[in-house]
Amino acid sequence: MQLLLNAIASAAILAPAAIGFTLIFTLFRYTNFAVGALMTTGAFAAWGMNELGLPIWMGGVFAVVFGAGLLLASDRIVFEPLRGRSGGTLLLVSIALSVIIDNVIRFAFGTQIRAFDLPLRPPLTFAGLRFTPETLWVIGISILATLAVGALLAFTRLGRALRAVADNASLASIRGLPVPRIEAAGILLAGALFGLSGTLAGLDLAIEPNLSLALAIPVIAAAIVGGLGSPLGAALGAVIIGLAEELTVAFISAPYKGAVGFVVIALVLLIRPQGLLGRPVERK
Amino acid sequence: MDAYLVAILTTAAVYVILALALNIQFGLTGLMNFGVVGFYGVGAYTSGIMTETLGQPILLGMLAAIVVGGLAGGLVSLLSIRLSGDFLAIVTLGFAETMRLAFNNEDWLTRGPRGFLIMTRPVIDGLGRGATAWFILGVFVLAAIIVFVVLNRLAGSPFGRVLRAIREDDLVPATLGKNVLAYRLQAFVLGSAAMALAGSLYAHYVQTITPDNFTTQVAVLVWMSLIVGGAGNMKGAVVGALVVTAIYEGTRFLAPLMEFLTPTQVSALRFIIIGTLLIVVVRYRPEGLLPERIAPRSRPDPVPAAG
Repeated sequence: MQLLLNAIASAAILAPAAIGFTLIFTLFRYTNFAVGALMTTGAFAAWGMNELGLPIWMGGVFAVVFGAGLLLASDRIVFEPLRGRSGGTLLLVSIALSVIIDNVIRFAFGTQIRAFDLPLRPPLTFAGLRFTPETLWVIGISILATLAVGALLAFTRLGRALRAVADNASLASIRGLPVPRIEAAGILLAGALFGLSGTLAGLDLAIEPNLSLALAIPVIAAAIVGGLGSPLGAALGAVIIGLAEELTVAFISAPYKGAVGFVVIALVLLIRPQGLLGRPVERK
Repeated sequence: MDAYLVAILTTAAVYVILALALNIQFGLTGLMNFGVVGFYGVGAYTSGIMTETLGQPILLGMLAAIVVGGLAGGLVSLLSIRLSGDFLAIVTLGFAETMRLAFNNEDWLTRGPRGFLIMTRPVIDGLGRGATAWFILGVFVLAAIIVFVVLNRLAGSPFGRVLRAIREDDLVPATLGKNVLAYRLQAFVLGSAAMALAGSLYAHYVQTITPDNFTTQVAVLVWMSLIVGGAGNMKGAVVGALVVTAIYEGTRFLAPLMEFLTPTQVSALRFIIIGTLLIVVVRYRPEGLLPERIAPRSRPDPVPAAG
């Protein structure tokens, strides 16, 4: 049970970012590796506000806004001029972007490990489970955010428009949808989710500039496991990755937690390339 | 200054081999290997373990590095070779990160973060300090030339043509009866083995390797070399590696001009510059400094797959 709780806590950190990642993938068909760097930025943004004396939740709101803005800016400067290039090229560019963002953070904040200004409290126990109040917050906020985004995509006009553009942008455009504006909305939403995940990661883990790779791989793994393109799948994928990570920590070796994402990606791609909830993608 | 130049050129030779190796995988065949450092690190540690832990001569260390690197490449590609570009890229990245974790945690084998000391060097005994450095440079340049000649011949051979065809559209060679998977596997194994050789050379040159030597940033430098030089062109890969080393090492000289920055900041600034340049090159000159040249008429579209 304790293991399950830990797994859900890990999943709660990954889920919003995995949904954001999936959103970008369905809209533009490329793997944005900068997701880890953007999450790290979110963690630093929230931490910075916290350092200035604001409460953590305000730091989180700032991180969400900052993440949205940063992703939109990076899209306008870096990715938009490259639309239509191959997925591999865009992935390469996003890795370069990731290195740039990491090093900007390193430049500005150094390599020290930071943490939010949290009061030290003994962990709570309930039904034999040990957890901190922060863990509860992380899980609660993540579930709320996931449900909200799911509802947005499923029930609102914007959600319908986003799905239409992702499905077939030119058709959506013919039907009179303002495609560039909808794409921008999608980017803002994804960036906000990255910022949120970053804040949650900061609550749970240490905040340092070397976090990016450790964050990016499980997030991308969660999205792939869930079947790229399915937000619900991405959330489910996050739970599976979280569970696999905790099982690794419990039964194999804690340091190899970082390899879990990779192994799971490899397995899924071998056995069920379309992911759990995805449909097979036609070749070319 | 002289010693510094020799050191830079020695490092450059290692990057030339890495860029050539990536060129056969990505440049010719279109396989996106972002796990360059994984194979590079495997080669470095294999060679170190062979010469130090097992006490074998250095040539055997290099050979072991090539074999183990090739095997690792074979395994990774068997896992993922059927995948299209992006997914292969992610699997290889994950492989590199997993290897780094292994280097860090398998203390009994790699001595973990404290670093693996390697006493064996590719020199003959009894040379002075300066002469030793020059000798090592000579060995490295020779190795780079051998790798260049072999891969360049391969690139121009029928084998290389099939690889290019696979890169452009794997249905066509498949229709002509070529076993596309086998060709991809061979290209990947060849490249990985060459990366491992580069790792072996590097390990015996720097003599202390730590897991931190094998981070994604190194892979970015190698990719930068290939993209700047011109993917698909072996000469381009060499030129690219030299240019990138010049930029990377050249920015070191900026440090005294900016004394108000800490060493961490200077190092960060170098990677900001390298990353930005990579994006700029991809956007404005995707074919690189020396674009791939193939007999005219055969390709109406001069933009290589990198574009």
